Amino acid sequence: MDDGAIWSVIVSQMPYLLTGLWIGIKLLAALLAVGLVLGLVIALMEVYGHWSLKVLGILFERVFRGIPAIVLLLLFYYGVGGYVELSSFAAAVLALGLRSTAYQSQIFRGAIQAVPQGQLVAARAMGMSMPRAIGEIVLPQALRHATGPWTNEFSSELKATSLAYVIGVVELTRQAKYIISNTQGNILLIFAVVGLLYFIVNWAGNRVLYRLEDRLAVPGFERRDAA
Amino acid sequence: MSEFVDFALEHLPYILEGLPITLGLWVIAMAIGFCFGLVLAWARIYGGRLAYGAATVYVEVFRGTPMLVQMLFIYLGLPEIGIVLDPFTAAVVAIGLNTSAYQAEYFRGAIRSIPRGQMAAARAMGMSDLEGLRYIVLPQALRRVIPQWSNEAILELKFTSIAFAIGVSEITARAETVGFTTFRFFEVFMIVAIIYFVLTGTVAQLLHWLEIRTRIPGLSQTG
Amino acid sequence: MTSLLEVRDLHKRYGETEVLKGVSLALERGQSKVVMGPSGTGKSTLLRCINHLNPPDAGTVLLDGEELTARNLNAMRQQIGFVFQDFNLFTHLRALDNVRIGPMKILGTDRKEATELAMTELDRVGLADKADSYPAELSGGQQQRVSIARALAMQPKVILFDEPTSALDPELTGEVVSVMKQLASDGMTMLVVSHELGFARSAADEIVFMDGGHIIEQGPPDRLFTAPEHERTRSFLQVIAAHDHEGDGGTA
Repeated sequence: MDDGAIWSVIVSQMPYLLTGLWIGIKLLAALLAVGLVLGLVIALMEVYGHWSLKVLGILFERVFRGIPAIVLLLLFYYGVGGYVELSSFAAAVLALGLRSTAYQSQIFRGAIQAVPQGQLVAARAMGMSMPRAIGEIVLPQALRHATGPWTNEFSSELKATSLAYVIGVVELTRQAKYIISNTQGNILLIFAVVGLLYFIVNWAGNRVLYRLEDRLAVPGFERRDAA
Repeated sequence: MSEFVDFALEHLPYILEGLPITLGLWVIAMAIGFCFGLVLAWARIYGGRLAYGAATVYVEVFRGTPMLVQMLFIYLGLPEIGIVLDPFTAAVVAIGLNTSAYQAEYFRGAIRSIPRGQMAAARAMGMSDLEGLRYIVLPQALRRVIPQWSNEAILELKFTSIAFAIGVSEITARAETVGFTTFRFFEVFMIVAIIYFVLTGTVAQLLHWLEIRTRIPGLSQTG
Repeated sequence: MTSLLEVRDLHKRYGETEVLKGVSLALERGQSKVVMGPSGTGKSTLLRCINHLNPPDAGTVLLDGEELTARNLNAMRQQIGFVFQDFNLFTHLRALDNVRIGPMKILGTDRKEATELAMTELDRVGLADKADSYPAELSGGQQQRVSIARALAMQPKVILFDEPTSALDPELTGEVVSVMKQLASDGMTMLVVSHELGFARSAADEIVFMDGGHIIEQGPPDRLFTAPEHERTRSFLQVIAAHDHEGDGGTA
């Protein structure tokens, strides 16, 4: 195949691929948001709540981390979808979002526990209420410890969005499959491009998160940790 | 509830027939990942520029792209250049190559975390680099890598479900079949979820025991 | 007669700085020499250059007349023992295994013989009862003694000691120094880099004083301590001696 043919294939199919990519990114944003909010809540529950809440939280984590993403997707789309109207996109957001919650709650739990106890004690000694102390003193510092692992979670979930393929969400991977079925051939090429697109989005996302990590870093602390 | 149990008992045998396939995929892929991962780690630590470069590209590609895409690439794409694999083999190769990239990074980290003095002492005695690696560095590095390796093993066990997408008749695929014949999707996927939950839990426990049994007395586990 | 260990005109530079500026010395069979000098003058570098842990930039090292090159490196190292400042015992192996892994895996000795040899050496350093302990379970002084046993098990022609007591608490140096003295009197050829006066004064055949990457002076301890030729030698040894009397170091 000469260069011209390769290039024309890429150019002609790119709009479809990019549409798929866009859907994938929307899915990613939605599931990460779900995971962030719920994960934070569960983490706080586990660290500051009654021990029964902690047990519930750990149970939740265990369950959603012990089951493959694909099974969760199928369970929600076909299973729950048998009782409730559920679009494939919504099912994907739920399934992957709850799964991400399990991973993120562990990240936030670790981050919160990494903040020295003394910080909270000092805040309370000043007369701050517990919610304010957590919100204004602990969480901002915890965020610093969360960015690293969260970046890994981002990469992991980006790749997980491709699994929504199995329930028919027309994200990047399924879009590629349609193209291949329709255009007969160029399979290696299309998938190579798909891989490249995921790679680029991953790389871009990581860059943004690294910048965020730098901005959140507390001056002086990094050197102390390193020493 | 009893209805669920009846349903489960009726279809469990069929679903569990996929268990050997799931486990087979998993074990073979992990073995490939272990051996190839060690080679890649060696290339990234001790290899010359060519070896280092090739290994790095490999690791970045396989860690930076989705498992499903890799599997489709191998199953659907390779035939274009004459390599036709049946679904099971394609899945094993894909998962194996994928996990080797992750394992390579864990091995590399663990090897590099061994104090330099250990290798210096080995070389000072007259051991070659390979002997030092084999008798002194690797035994310690492999112990350190167990927690991360366990996570990876459990992850890959879950990843075997992706083989469903290219037609391998493992547990998830069979559950889907049962689903489409009985239309009781919720129940059947709950069953599969429970099966995986039990599998991953058991594996996690076993690997935890392994970690405890291989601990070196006196050494703290952090660092 | 060829010396057992001969070092000729070693040069070594790290980046901009030249740490060894043409160092030569010779060690005869059964001799013990102690290299002393201010910090940073290349003493440790000298030892590491001798067995090519850090290959020298120029100069040669000869063991029994045979030159150390990249090609015979492993074989040469098997005849040169090395005791590190940080012990570097293999942390995943018990003491006995640490001592016998060399003979077993490198020299090809069979297990039974290697075990006997290892126990003999452990006994020699006074730690036969700790054979089953892991390094993390031993004190610093015990670890260093095991590391000496490990070097001895290879039955080397010469042993290099790189500041063997510097990482030890003062009360633990004594046990290591007495092992070293015993080795010296048993006729082991030793090249020691150390500040330990106890060994230098009573067991060394010669003291080698190094400063600024050169050997300034070498000679028997008596002479160097009482009537050194160079001012730098004298002032350095004076400081060391004073320090020694203040602390509790240098015990017999």
